[in-house]
Amino acid sequence: MSATNADAAPLAPPLPAKAVNDNRAHMNPLPPSVFTLPQTAQLEALYTIIRSKETSRGDFLFYSDRIIRLLVEEGLNHLPVVARTIETPTGATYNGVGFQGKICGVSILRAGEAMEAGLREVCRSVRIGKILIQRDEDTALPKLFYSKFPQDIASRYVLLLDPMLATGGSAMKAVEVIMEHGVPEERIIFINLIAAPEGLKAFCTRFPSLKVITGWIDEGLNEKAYIIPGLGDFGERSFETVAEASQGSSRLYM
Amino acid sequence: MFDDFVDRSNLLSFQLSNGPTDGQSRLAIPALQAKKNTILVSHGRPPWYAEDGQRITDAFVIGVAGGSASGKTHVARQIVRKLGSIPTVIILSQDSFYKYHNEEELKLAHANMLDFDHPDAIDMPIFAACLADLKACKQSNIPIYSFQEHQRLVETKYLYGATIIIAEGIMSLVDPALRALYDLKVFVQCDSDVMLARRIKRDVKERGRDVDGIIDQYLRYVKPSYDTFVRPSSSYADIIVPGSNNDVAIDLICTHIREKLQERSSTFRQKIAVPLKYMSPRSGASTPESFLEDLHLTLLPQTWQVQGIYTILRDRTTSRQDFIFFADRLSTLLVECALQHLPYAPKMVVTPIDIESHGKKMDAKYVCGVTILRSGGALERGFRRVINDVPVGSMLIQSDSKSGEAMLLHLMLPNYVRFRHLAQQAYIFLLDSQIGTAAAAFMAIRILLDHGVPEDHIIFITFIVSREGGILVLKRAFPGVKIVCGAVDDEMQEGWLEGYKGEGNPEGNGRQVWVIKPGMGQIGVISYYHFHFHSVHVLRR
Repeated sequence: MSATNADAAPLAPPLPAKAVNDNRAHMNPLPPSVFTLPQTAQLEALYTIIRSKETSRGDFLFYSDRIIRLLVEEGLNHLPVVARTIETPTGATYNGVGFQGKICGVSILRAGEAMEAGLREVCRSVRIGKILIQRDEDTALPKLFYSKFPQDIASRYVLLLDPMLATGGSAMKAVEVIMEHGVPEERIIFINLIAAPEGLKAFCTRFPSLKVITGWIDEGLNEKAYIIPGLGDFGERSFETVAEASQGSSRLYM
Repeated sequence: MFDDFVDRSNLLSFQLSNGPTDGQSRLAIPALQAKKNTILVSHGRPPWYAEDGQRITDAFVIGVAGGSASGKTHVARQIVRKLGSIPTVIILSQDSFYKYHNEEELKLAHANMLDFDHPDAIDMPIFAACLADLKACKQSNIPIYSFQEHQRLVETKYLYGATIIIAEGIMSLVDPALRALYDLKVFVQCDSDVMLARRIKRDVKERGRDVDGIIDQYLRYVKPSYDTFVRPSSSYADIIVPGSNNDVAIDLICTHIREKLQERSSTFRQKIAVPLKYMSPRSGASTPESFLEDLHLTLLPQTWQVQGIYTILRDRTTSRQDFIFFADRLSTLLVECALQHLPYAPKMVVTPIDIESHGKKMDAKYVCGVTILRSGGALERGFRRVINDVPVGSMLIQSDSKSGEAMLLHLMLPNYVRFRHLAQQAYIFLLDSQIGTAAAAFMAIRILLDHGVPEDHIIFITFIVSREGGILVLKRAFPGVKIVCGAVDDEMQEGWLEGYKGEGNPEGNGRQVWVIKPGMGQIGVISYYHFHFHSVHVLRR
């Protein structure tokens, strides 16, 4: 993102886009920090493709990338801009806006990694940190296994990437870790493909000023904490590997 | 730039061929053909429609008949040559319309025992149907007949976009349905002994046949057919041209054609570039806002990101690399937004954990993209990011260096558009970087309509629309076309584009242009030059 006219005053952030969408079948009202994409027929068609178990891996990647790009675009709209005046090739003056603020991505391994390509298509050479969280078999609580962040993460806006939000356990742990590195809650934007109402509610109650961009809010969780209807295991479908650890479904949708 | 080098074989090109029984001479033609096409169309096709979007006239159709080896081909070629700067000519040969043969006929044909010189050998209804389509400026997929296999092939040859059509063949004046389509009927008169002499010379030289065989065939089929069918049809001709020393006759024909074409020509662009100058002011409503709503544009939500991207794209100091990156990002969003104009239907799928999910699927049978070159190429990558599995065609439309009129220089359409029955069900995304004068958009939409694409199946995607420009006329002419854009600019300004010396413009003449203000400059010229060159190059192969 190119910062310009640093001395100009930041403009007001956009208003919540909720007026134009009706993604409330399973959650009404939405928490004020939750923003969804406009629930259009073509978006529903994209979700239908990636939900189907008949969809090939190639199609799964292509269509999930399309949604991720839209989610990232929506997320970026919550970054500040400044007024910027330029001259066009035709010699006219144009009053536009310039982007302000540096960003970085943080993906929650493993599935979040599959969202990095989409992020990079929208934000060239964006820095991306990683975080691995798994369930501690003894305490049944999410535990940080590994994290690697850009050094100056504290001065950046963070786009947190995790495609599936089920119980919200790992996402909340990830936010905790990022905040421990000096990033204030309101500078984190959580980018998410599918959310369960239970997890979304827990997450938003815990971090009320953290903006959540989600594409679709599903019915809920089943007894194994899978999102219903969901789309299966996002990481597995993206990378086409079945991790040993995930066989017992221990970590995936915490 | 590419004017003289683009292979326009799709736009026209049907080869000249002499008579029914000398079809093998086609095999020798391909080397000549490329040359011939460049002669036929060196100037592109100017608008063939008025500001209301309707076609002004039909194509001008000339029927040329005469005995085998009477010089029909020569006459047709001379007409084309003498006309000089005609836009596009299709020469349609009767040879293409030989009937499909059953096995019995096939055996006879291989034994040289099938009478190809009888009117019944030719599929007149299809001939007439193809000619009627071409005359009405529609596309036509004409049959291909193989003289080696003595059979009609499965493939067809796509033809579209002629101003003049010459239908040529010994029987071309015999059928009343065909005769009804001609604007001018020509019969090439030649003495039988001259025709026989030419025939012997040609067959011996080109095909190594012996004189006895040629004379035998002549007496058995060619001569009786000429006397019974061909010569009597000369009574329908408007003009009878001698088979040799016919310069004066051809001059007369050309003068006539030129007059007719003059009557049909239109200057189009000036009228639509700044419509407000040409149209009576709308009563009362003059605020730009209400103006804009009337146009029913699909405007991309003006988020901070979209506004920021436009600021970068409009900035004259933006590097080419940045321009391309942000143009790709913007076009991705535009195409995503444009998808709302496709139909969707309910669909149930089963998720990997075996749960039913009720969603939607896109419900269009055929979808394809068509880029308006050169500047529409800026949207192509974004289009591919969103829709990766559909054919993408292209149209090269540029303004004429002298008149400024839009000229169709090259057309490469997907099969979904080429075949009328598919085109009628297809949804087409047209890509161009801006709608200023709307001359190119107008032509592109007219081309799709000519092919049978329903108006409300056309979705035009563009970065900028000029509120003051041709959009008003465009929407009035084609109200059903959906236009998806990211920004609406206020002004159209008359400007002057410096010319560069080069092909098609030897003096380096500049020309008058209309530019959108504030605008983004000449998108095709600045940023996508190499990209376009590449894509045109690929299409030529």
